[in-house]
Amino acid sequence: MKPDNNIPHESARAHCTGKAQYVADYLCGPGDLVGRVFYSPHPHARILNYDLSEALSIAGVADILEHSRIPGANQLNPLAGDEPCLAVDTVQCIGQAMFLIAAQSPEAAYAAARAIKVEYERFEPILTIDEAMAKGNRLAPARQISSGKPEEAMLTATHRIKGNLFTGGQEHWYLETQSAVCVPGEQDSMTIYASSQNPTETQLVVAGVLGWEAHQVVCQVKRMGGGFGGKETQANHVAAWAALLANATAKPVKLVLFRDDDQRLTGKRHPFQSTYEIGFDNQGMIQAYIADMNGDAGMATDLSMAILERALFHADNAYFIPNIRLTATMWKTNKPSNTAFRGFGGPQGMAVIENAIDAVARFLGKDAAEIRYRNFYGGGQRQFTPYGQAVHNNRLYPLWDKLQAMSNYTTRRTEINAFNSANAFIKRGMALCPVKFGISFTTAFLNQAGALVHLYKDGSVMVNHGGTEMGQGLHTKIRQIAAAALGLPTHKVRLSDTDTSRVPNTSPTAASSGTDLNGMAVKNAIDTLKARLTPLALSMLEVKEDAGVEPSLVFQDGHVFVAGLPDRYVTFSELVKQAHRAQLSLSATGFYCTPGLGFDKEEGRGNPFHYYAFGMAVAEVETDMLTGRSRLLRVDIVHDAGDSINPAIDKGQVIGGFVQGLGWCTSETLRYSSEGQLLNCSPDTYKIPGIGDIPDDFRVQLLSGAPNESVIHNSKAVGEPPFMLAFAAWLAIKDAISAVGRHRHEPAFGLPANCELVVREADKLRELTNKPAIS
Amino acid sequence: MNSNQLTFVHDNETVVIDFARSAFQPSTTVLNYLRSLPNHSGTKEGCAEGDCGACTVVLADLNQYNQLVYRAVDSCLLFLASIHGKQLITVENLAEKSQATTDLHPVQQAIIDHHASQCGFCTPGVAMSLFGLYKSENTVDSNTAKHSLSGNLCRCTGYLPITEAAVQCCQHRQEDHFSKEEPRVIAMLQSIRKEKKTRIFSTEQQLYALPFSLDEALELRKKYPDARLVNGATDTAIKQNKTYTYLPQIIDISAVDELRFVSRNADGWLVGSGLCIEDFSLFMGAHFPGLGPMLRVFASKQIRHVASIGGNVCTASPIGDLIPIFIALGARFKISTVMTERWMTATDFITGYRSNALTAKELLTEIFIPDPQPGTLFFTEKVSERRELDIATLSLTASIKLSSEGYVTDIMLVYGGMAARVKRALNTERFLLGNRWNADAVAQASACIDQDFSPISDARASAAYRLQVARNLLFKCLTQTTSNTINLSDEA
Ligand SMILES: Cc1cc2nc3c(=O)[nH]c(=O)nc-3n(C[C@H](O)[C@H](O)[C@H](O)COP(=O)(O)OP(=O)(O)OC[C@H]3O[C@@H](n4cnc5c(N)ncnc54)[C@H](O)[C@@H]3O)c2cc1C
Ligand code: FES
Ligand code: FES
Repeated sequence: MKPDNNIPHESARAHCTGKAQYVADYLCGPGDLVGRVFYSPHPHARILNYDLSEALSIAGVADILEHSRIPGANQLNPLAGDEPCLAVDTVQCIGQAMFLIAAQSPEAAYAAARAIKVEYERFEPILTIDEAMAKGNRLAPARQISSGKPEEAMLTATHRIKGNLFTGGQEHWYLETQSAVCVPGEQDSMTIYASSQNPTETQLVVAGVLGWEAHQVVCQVKRMGGGFGGKETQANHVAAWAALLANATAKPVKLVLFRDDDQRLTGKRHPFQSTYEIGFDNQGMIQAYIADMNGDAGMATDLSMAILERALFHADNAYFIPNIRLTATMWKTNKPSNTAFRGFGGPQGMAVIENAIDAVARFLGKDAAEIRYRNFYGGGQRQFTPYGQAVHNNRLYPLWDKLQAMSNYTTRRTEINAFNSANAFIKRGMALCPVKFGISFTTAFLNQAGALVHLYKDGSVMVNHGGTEMGQGLHTKIRQIAAAALGLPTHKVRLSDTDTSRVPNTSPTAASSGTDLNGMAVKNAIDTLKARLTPLALSMLEVKEDAGVEPSLVFQDGHVFVAGLPDRYVTFSELVKQAHRAQLSLSATGFYCTPGLGFDKEEGRGNPFHYYAFGMAVAEVETDMLTGRSRLLRVDIVHDAGDSINPAIDKGQVIGGFVQGLGWCTSETLRYSSEGQLLNCSPDTYKIPGIGDIPDDFRVQLLSGAPNESVIHNSKAVGEPPFMLAFAAWLAIKDAISAVGRHRHEPAFGLPANCELVVREADKLRELTNKPAIS
Repeated sequence: MNSNQLTFVHDNETVVIDFARSAFQPSTTVLNYLRSLPNHSGTKEGCAEGDCGACTVVLADLNQYNQLVYRAVDSCLLFLASIHGKQLITVENLAEKSQATTDLHPVQQAIIDHHASQCGFCTPGVAMSLFGLYKSENTVDSNTAKHSLSGNLCRCTGYLPITEAAVQCCQHRQEDHFSKEEPRVIAMLQSIRKEKKTRIFSTEQQLYALPFSLDEALELRKKYPDARLVNGATDTAIKQNKTYTYLPQIIDISAVDELRFVSRNADGWLVGSGLCIEDFSLFMGAHFPGLGPMLRVFASKQIRHVASIGGNVCTASPIGDLIPIFIALGARFKISTVMTERWMTATDFITGYRSNALTAKELLTEIFIPDPQPGTLFFTEKVSERRELDIATLSLTASIKLSSEGYVTDIMLVYGGMAARVKRALNTERFLLGNRWNADAVAQASACIDQDFSPISDARASAAYRLQVARNLLFKCLTQTTSNTINLSDEA
């Protein structure tokens, strides 16, 4: 049975009535405590002395922990081992945790933090990628992928252009800040109510700092108020801090980061500084591409190397490049460790080639969309990526056709040119951008999931799985999948909180793979249950099994019957009731792992992805060259979500991803002082898109008739890919700027294309073309 | 009624908080109050500084005709004591509950139908903003919907479904259970408001005075010269939230109806300092359309509903939006104490970075806006990274008078964000005075900007950007005042 389409988010009613609970909503009992982190105000310093006595004497302060009071390992990243839970001798970034405070009220905790006295010896910090490169401060050796003969091909290329691109960081700005409640239990145990994308790791990190075994810790996640990657590893930190305090005080501790603290001390999207050279022929066919990408890891490893890898895998975006060398390095700086963020390095890799293609188009005097189209992946040799995986089920051409028609690209280009000739200071720009995004964790073993499905005696169903709900609609889709598999209406199926004691050893809910992996695991569990119920059902239906062929059972509309004989049925609830009497187990686990993945890091060859997701967007902007402000006039998107399980939810991901990407590409600028202080650490000055920033005319469609075989219900992952559709808006701004110089020069560009960049580059072009300031 | 008792309506009941026996301070925010109650965690904290709207609630207040007016506000910036005599409506109140069923409010149903929630954390606030819009008289299309929701950040949905939900439910407005309850609520509020004497709420930590008349307010100002005066408290509450400290003494003039008026005399308009930004911007839109755009993008609906023009002016911020407007209009401020009153120009009122000319016992009570000379051209542009709910990186407000031959006879170029206070570009003005108002003159004049200002780099932008855009704004001013002349005196 196909899932029931377009049902609302399973928590929609709870959301809009205020009944949906988040970690901060757990109501504290009288003795419960609040936690607070005291963190370093310096980017790099030695801790000479500290005095907690005054702080401890403040009324309402229960305890203050320093590193020596950590009973287990002082480590938040057991794998890399480079992220102390509490600073020992030195601090490596502003925001590094030094002490933990437990108090009866937030007021007392704040007062205690003010009263902690520390003496530092300050060192020269490394604050930018350039500084880190100058000092050779690598996080790990460079990684490389290449194919063909890049250097030779570059030398013989018809034309060559060199360039560079800086892409900035991005604050996640999940609406719900990082938070955890830890409740100590009997016999050395702890329950964590976490806002974590990665409950198993939260459990393990907490066990680690407490010096315990995993079975002493249970981590539960009901839902997150947004994650976007920011709660893949860094939610563990908050949980570990709260757990240490709960353990020390033997009281429940709630730790909710204040917004400004969250912005200051958590990691961001990795900024990248990249250089490239692109060789191409007169038609704009890319002959060679050599890019060197450098990421800002911040102070510790976190997920930086996997992010770097994904940047490499997406440096080609949607284009076949016969000769290519991609080199990528992560550099250590004295900033909070940067971390996962929707796209996970992919956007940083893609931005470089998209920027380069514009330069090619400008050089040849052609429309950039045409150059993009020419270079799309195709058949034969043109289907192979630089790492050797074939781009199967390439949807670029159908997307292109549909989008050209939908957006009326050519006509509008003419209109835009006319507008620009008539206006000196207001310019319009338009760009088309494709997205190809690889689906799977590139760390292959993570591509696994577990589930546990219970059938209750009354015929209702409880589904547990390892994925977490952060708004993306995973639980809704899983509910649809389970209901469809059992032939039940969705209200008969309930999803439990994610809980490490129900489904263990889960992978993080990340890499857009939540539904692919957990959906399959749930289906696997249900298949087991159905197989277990089949003999009983057949006997209840009085079907003889003698014919040699096993009659196949259908679960549909709450009935169970033999295929083709819907009139003779037992109800599902009756079947389950009888199964219980017949002493059958009504609970089953399920498991799934993605087949056929493998990548050789040394060789830079293999199949890291199960499949690719595709999308394409056309954006038109109007930019005021005097103030730098852009307004999105219209955006058309066609996105490939396979046979969508829930088109409304998938469109929500496309729209939301685009707008989040738009923020990264335009208004979200992280500004630091020369001492490394993040200057805009609150929404007063850090500007994510508001409702007024979305396109005036916003048209979004899912590609139809594009089933994605080998994935649950032929669907496709949709969480991350749409983020990069926002490049269409970014490039449209560049197109508008270049109109100032009558499209004769390629503007220097960067990301975000904020007001400042626009004004500066428009001004330069005006001088270059020697036009008077006003004509 | 005990003067230490705060009384308001919530959950359809009269709630009384006696500060002598309460864990709350009078300036505890409504958000923190709500979240400490059982079953009221629907109202969320996303930023505690008025920038995200997750904490949005609706206040219903009696207007002069004893009708209820519903307005969305940010509860994170709302002092508990300031809701005396009002109805507090929270997300838990939206649905209509009977014994057996819960009927969702149309705004909630629209959110579900349009898939306008993903993670759901912003959703209670969005629902409350939608409810405020639903209960307003405005006709709603996607532009007005967006404008009303500019105070609600959502990181998940990309806003399109929220916009669609807003338009759909507001275009099919029907009577809801709040309409049915109105007579009862009005009676409850009237009974609370019968008592018209100043409320003095006090705890061990804090004294909070809530006067209802100007005389009382001035008396209190005299009696407690060290008290912090607040109206909308939007500036004041942020500090409390970020430092977890309560001011020892507060005088809250938000209940003084006398300070909320607009009237005319022979030479111009008189506006009360207590008028909220929303009402002021409606007034300006009607009478000074050339200056309207700046106000349209002032903060968000939630902030505009409570923030007062007096508060904005007295903050004396270099990036406040009203000061440049008042300077360019040649406005004069009336400053009162119990015994005295004096008038001064907007220019003189601002004495430095966030400092004004008021002494401890004084109150800014009225603002006089003289009718502009016929033919005066006005221009205003606020430049910020985000279109809405963003403070100015810089701004230019200009008033220009041309001779019939097209020469500049009078000019004021008032810049925000270019110096420690709002400041006129005097060198540039001097250059332009007596010149033609055309591109050549403006191009030359723009070089003077560098003599007028040496701005700073900060969290919003670099000094170089500010200088460049300050020059550029002269061109914008020129193009807009020449192609699109607005004769203000005709409008008025
Ligand atoms: C999210 C957010 C967005 C904002 N966006 C903008 C924006 O776009 N543009 C802009 O200009 N500002 C903006 N602001 C600032 C805003 O202007 C002020 O917060 C508001 O106008 C102050 O009014 P209030 O009544 O709330 O002031 P209060 O906080 O009550 O008072 C502010 C100061 O003025 C004094 N004061 C108030 N009234 C009087 C009086 N009658 N006589 C003497 N002194 C008085 C008080 O003592 C206090 O020192 C924003 C603020 C927030 C929180
Ligand atoms: S909590 Fe963000 S506006 Fe109130
Ligand atoms: S639904 Fe997540 S922030 Fe709006």
